[in-house]
Amino acid sequence: MYDNFLIRKDSLKNDVDENGNVIGFQFAARNANYRGVYLSLHNGYYIKVDGIQYKRDVQTFEINGKAPRTFEEIKTAVWEHWDYDDEGIVHVKKEGGLTPGKHVVDFQQSVLAAYGYLPTDEEWVKCPPEPGMGAGSDKTKNIVRYELELQE
Amino acid sequence: MGIKRGVDFYSYQQAQFFKELDLEGMLKEASGIEGVTGIEVLDEQSFPYPDPSDEFVENWHAMCKKYNLEPVTMDVFCDVLQFRDHVMSFEECADRLKHDIKLAKKLGFKNVRTLATTNIEILELALPTAEEYDIRIAKEIHAPIPLNGQYVKEIQEVVEKTGTKHLGIVPDWGIFAYRPSEVTLDWYVRQGAKRKTCELVDQFCMDNYTGKSDALSKIDLSLYTGGNVESFFHRYLKTGDAPEDLKPAFELMEKMVKENVPDYTDIDFEVMGQALLLSRAKPEDLIPLLPIIVNFHGKFYNMSEVEGQPGIYVDKAVDYEGPIRVLKEYGYDGYINTEYEGQRRFQDRTEKELISEVDQVRKHQLMLKRLIEEA
Repeated sequence: MYDNFLIRKDSLKNDVDENGNVIGFQFAARNANYRGVYLSLHNGYYIKVDGIQYKRDVQTFEINGKAPRTFEEIKTAVWEHWDYDDEGIVHVKKEGGLTPGKHVVDFQQSVLAAYGYLPTDEEWVKCPPEPGMGAGSDKTKNIVRYELELQE
Repeated sequence: MGIKRGVDFYSYQQAQFFKELDLEGMLKEASGIEGVTGIEVLDEQSFPYPDPSDEFVENWHAMCKKYNLEPVTMDVFCDVLQFRDHVMSFEECADRLKHDIKLAKKLGFKNVRTLATTNIEILELALPTAEEYDIRIAKEIHAPIPLNGQYVKEIQEVVEKTGTKHLGIVPDWGIFAYRPSEVTLDWYVRQGAKRKTCELVDQFCMDNYTGKSDALSKIDLSLYTGGNVESFFHRYLKTGDAPEDLKPAFELMEKMVKENVPDYTDIDFEVMGQALLLSRAKPEDLIPLLPIIVNFHGKFYNMSEVEGQPGIYVDKAVDYEGPIRVLKEYGYDGYINTEYEGQRRFQDRTEKELISEVDQVRKHQLMLKRLIEEA
């Protein structure tokens, strides 16, 4: 659900550190569900930009007025809630960031929310699924492709 | 007394997503529909969760009063991987439910609805809290779960055993769907499915509904939620793996597509899988359950005007007439809360082509009013 609206269209821009170096890029994302969830369930993204995949270990997530956190840190936010109408910022580490102009972004979110117990529960505690396989993406099953213009 | 009409704010999920309606906006809209007296709200969708401020709670009560709406049922959730380092125990799930019962009380609701898959042990653990706070716990009975299967039976048993008045069910009207909605099939066609597969699944479901074939009736999915069946089927198609009891049904759907649809692709199997999401419930299944029915989710997918009858609306995929006739005849006293779910079938398109939830809900209420009031 919300296939075409999970990434805000005008949110793709480069990340710049305090010294003015471009260290990556960011975009704004919404929860692909009809409700909010405890933040700890948020398991990262499948992100491919212009054919290059950026895995979970280079992703951080900014939400609830806090500095961007890795998904290992997010995992421990077991009493913090990501409310339904809140937008989070996905940051991706990439030296030099993205070039100006249009980019093709393939996107899938993984949030381990479910309807009760599932046979995969124990396995996902030990080894959380890799985003992009469809796990944790029940409401938007297919990887969605966006064409986004890099903002200044 | 009698059948009351309410609106479940689930219906306005898209308007909330796009920030077109806030909480007060939804209350105002619902109160403007003639005859609507109650509302149902999802805690994780429309309230600051888990602990709204005193100021929020006070304002909420003031708004319900202003718009003259009764908070009927609060819908609650439980994600068992919340702690990530272990799967939640029944006790931990019950703790969350107890918290939500207290929250519901604070916000003036009479009932909490739990997920269809909530284990009976969890409900029993939370029952003393429900009694103490005078909140009824109601387990949702959602397609493809039937009304006469284990999930309902075990609730009846606890009610009989304990004599409690604080445990029951919320049947979701989707259990009376007898074919996939036209908006669901159109969505699949836009995603690349063949029209031929849509006709095939529709015929398969209609043959079951009219009694021409029993192929669908033979499939037992009585212990699975729709969302889980869909994701299991999706995974089966990718990997071939599925729970053993689901495999025969998945294999049949796969076979039907392969034998009947030229040039099929993966998505055609998913279209066929829509047949597995039907409960095949019958209106008369409701009769013995009336004492434990807390309220109904008035689930629908698409209201359309009947040809040649301006102002008369129906959902072509869901039987409303039969069950409402039964409820009237047997004196059901409670709410049907409109729960629109067709909006997601338009979200693959542009913002301009999204459907109006407000309009769909109003039309659904017109249909409910017509069926409830007609002799």
